[in-house]
Amino acid sequence: MAGKKKRKGGKTIVNLVLGVICFIWLLPTLGLFISSFRPAADILQTGWWKVFPHQEWTQGETLQLSKDTDLRQPIEVNGQTYTDDQLKAGVEVDDSRLMWENRRARTINMQEQGWKTTPDLTMDNYSNVLSGKEYKLTEADGSETMQKGTGLSQAFWNTLTIAVPATVIPVLIASFAAYAFAWLRFPGRKTLFVIIIAMLVIPIQVALIPVLKDYTSLGLNGSYLGIWLAHTAFGLPLVTYFMYNFISQLPKDLFESAFIDGASHFTIFSRLILPLSVPALASIGIFQFLWVWNDYLVSLIFIGNQPSVQVMSMKIADLVGSRGNDWHLLTSAAFISMLMPLAIFFLLQKYFVRGLMGGSVKG
Amino acid sequence: MKKATGRKLSLAMVLCLSFTMMLSGCGGNNNTNNAAKTDPPAATEAPAASNSQASPEASEAAAAGSPLDLAMKGEYKGTKVTMFGPFVDADQVKFESSIKEFEAKTGIDIQYEGSKEFEATINIRVDGGNAPDIADFPQPGLLASIAKTGKVVDLTGVLDQEKLKANYNKSWLDMSTMDGKDGKIMAGIWNRSNVKSLVWYPKKQFDDAGYTVPETWDDMMALTEQIAKDGDPAWTIGIESGAATGWAATDWIENIMLRTTTPENYDKWVKGELPFTSPEVKNAVEVMSKIWLNKDYVYGGTKSIVTTAFGDAPKPMFENPPKAWFNLMGNFITSFFPETAKVDQDYDWFYLPPIDPQYGKPVLVAGDIYAMFNDRPEVRAVMEFFTTGESIKTWVQSGGVIAPMNDASLDWYTSESDRRMAKLVQDASTLRFDGSDLMPGKVGAGTFWKGMTDYVSGTATLDKALEQIQSGWNN
Repeated sequence: MAGKKKRKGGKTIVNLVLGVICFIWLLPTLGLFISSFRPAADILQTGWWKVFPHQEWTQGETLQLSKDTDLRQPIEVNGQTYTDDQLKAGVEVDDSRLMWENRRARTINMQEQGWKTTPDLTMDNYSNVLSGKEYKLTEADGSETMQKGTGLSQAFWNTLTIAVPATVIPVLIASFAAYAFAWLRFPGRKTLFVIIIAMLVIPIQVALIPVLKDYTSLGLNGSYLGIWLAHTAFGLPLVTYFMYNFISQLPKDLFESAFIDGASHFTIFSRLILPLSVPALASIGIFQFLWVWNDYLVSLIFIGNQPSVQVMSMKIADLVGSRGNDWHLLTSAAFISMLMPLAIFFLLQKYFVRGLMGGSVKG
Repeated sequence: MKKATGRKLSLAMVLCLSFTMMLSGCGGNNNTNNAAKTDPPAATEAPAASNSQASPEASEAAAAGSPLDLAMKGEYKGTKVTMFGPFVDADQVKFESSIKEFEAKTGIDIQYEGSKEFEATINIRVDGGNAPDIADFPQPGLLASIAKTGKVVDLTGVLDQEKLKANYNKSWLDMSTMDGKDGKIMAGIWNRSNVKSLVWYPKKQFDDAGYTVPETWDDMMALTEQIAKDGDPAWTIGIESGAATGWAATDWIENIMLRTTTPENYDKWVKGELPFTSPEVKNAVEVMSKIWLNKDYVYGGTKSIVTTAFGDAPKPMFENPPKAWFNLMGNFITSFFPETAKVDQDYDWFYLPPIDPQYGKPVLVAGDIYAMFNDRPEVRAVMEFFTTGESIKTWVQSGGVIAPMNDASLDWYTSESDRRMAKLVQDASTLRFDGSDLMPGKVGAGTFWKGMTDYVSGTATLDKALEQIQSGWNN
């Protein structure tokens, strides 16, 4: 009885801690989300939390000082003297705050505390990102024409074209390899496996120029095939290792009985291994997909920035303009690019959970 | 039995595979070594070949017209020229609209690829053998380092030098001559330029307040003091720019250097012969400090300089009434101005006044240099096209860029402000390129930025900061 109560108490603490961690993790995302609906000028001036009702100093009575007040001397306001710096930052007197309203005109405002709720929200950031920005071009006669830039749709399909094969190919190859390493006895198995594990520590940066040279001679540069192969190769060691860990844990008896029943390796793989390793396939699939979807470096080197093949991450980076003048668009662009991975995650999560459960009950 | 052979076979295959892998690994190295070894003669051959090719072609060209004329006749219809550069978004749209007519007339398809990571990527592409036909370098220092490897085509034999001399100020041509693998080469041609000696101010309010544009440095300082007395800090300065924080400060130093010492000293300084610790440079920083370190002169005080993004700095000028009045920045800053503000009416610029009259009216410029990596007739035609003012005419009309070519008419500029800028460049007694862009990356895009940031933020004294900047040359 007492033990049960204790466990309950422990659970609350765990939940509380988890709740706090979730909150800390989600807070910046929430801020980004709110910012994505704010106009550019607002983002520059105030924090995203200002969209909520909050107390703020609001304009009150204006005091006019004499025009020739010397700002470098102590300044007298209502019988009290203040320094210029104080008035710049604001001095609280009773319930109000004295602050420069217009230093040039020598006016001071007696501000009062008040509640403020003016959530000024807009969809401009989203429409600019989704359907393309408008650029103003001036013609020879001085008239202005608007030219519409491209939206995200082309980049979205490009990224999908890259990400789906670049997820399926390595996961498939790695599953074959993992099965072989786990259940086939062939000489040099351990050595090969160690070599593959060793490849995990090779940073992809060192491979970029050599691979690019080979791609140039093979004519694979800027082609989808090239980038599929690049992502496959860079992803394979980890995926193989991950799948090996899972497949080698499957009960040996299953395969032995299947073998006795006359199943070939391919039958065992397709009929037994694949269905049993759905949870592992789903989770490593999510990892690999996220990696490819968010990738910038590999795309930058192997596929480039031509509009016909440009991926989302590069298109989004370009949105801010040559000198970063439109960085506020990154807020909405981030959320748009997040949609796909989120969708994939929730879609696969079903299999993920079911696969785990199925494995545990049936053995 | 069957199984045993299968096993042996797989063993043999695995061994073979690993062997071939090892061999190909080593072989690859050997190949690259060989390539490296054979590279110098090949490279020396290449220019020679292109030269020898160039001369008959040149004589041919004399008969049939230059590559550009041939292109205009439709000789190269259906060919593609790849181009790689740093401008994206609005600039890319403006660039593409400026070459549209050329593409339609000649049938050459210029495939422009813009990337925010140009500086990082171009080296990888050139090393990886995947260089674009033409690349647009905003920093000539970067092109200079690539030119040394011998991978840039020498334009001396490609473009008609007489035509170039007629169409460019000599300073521009001098700046495009760089060290190649074997001696000096003409590494590129200038296509766009921007002016960096401009002080932007809110014109309407400035006139209403009864201020007049200062003609000398002392006038400017007096006006700054006057504005401070009237109740505003005169200057709004921001040097924050992410990983590039500090570059805006280098423009100040370069401008002041040109106004307090000889152009020769400036050139020496850029080459690293005049150290940062010398009295000339120290003096320049001190002149700057008289404005920067005076909290009454800078919007938000000295501390905010380092934390204000250079693009956000002009914003207080457009408040009503303005909270600050002057912002020293190149002409590209107008893309950060509020969209509602109108050029010539709401804002304008004045030339950063001279300090010492004996150095005349020097102008600091920056620009984009186009280099050629693959020598094909259609690429030559496109390069020749880029030496004509026509190639950026529509961009000039849209504003934000100055054409360095002489055949670019002043009438093309649709705003008075741009036209005055173009005139300023044409009439300049001394034209000098942004020094930090010319210095090697370690200094110009490294210690110089960082040293200035440390000095302004107060984490280093002036002497220490200058020593720190100078140390970039030493390693």
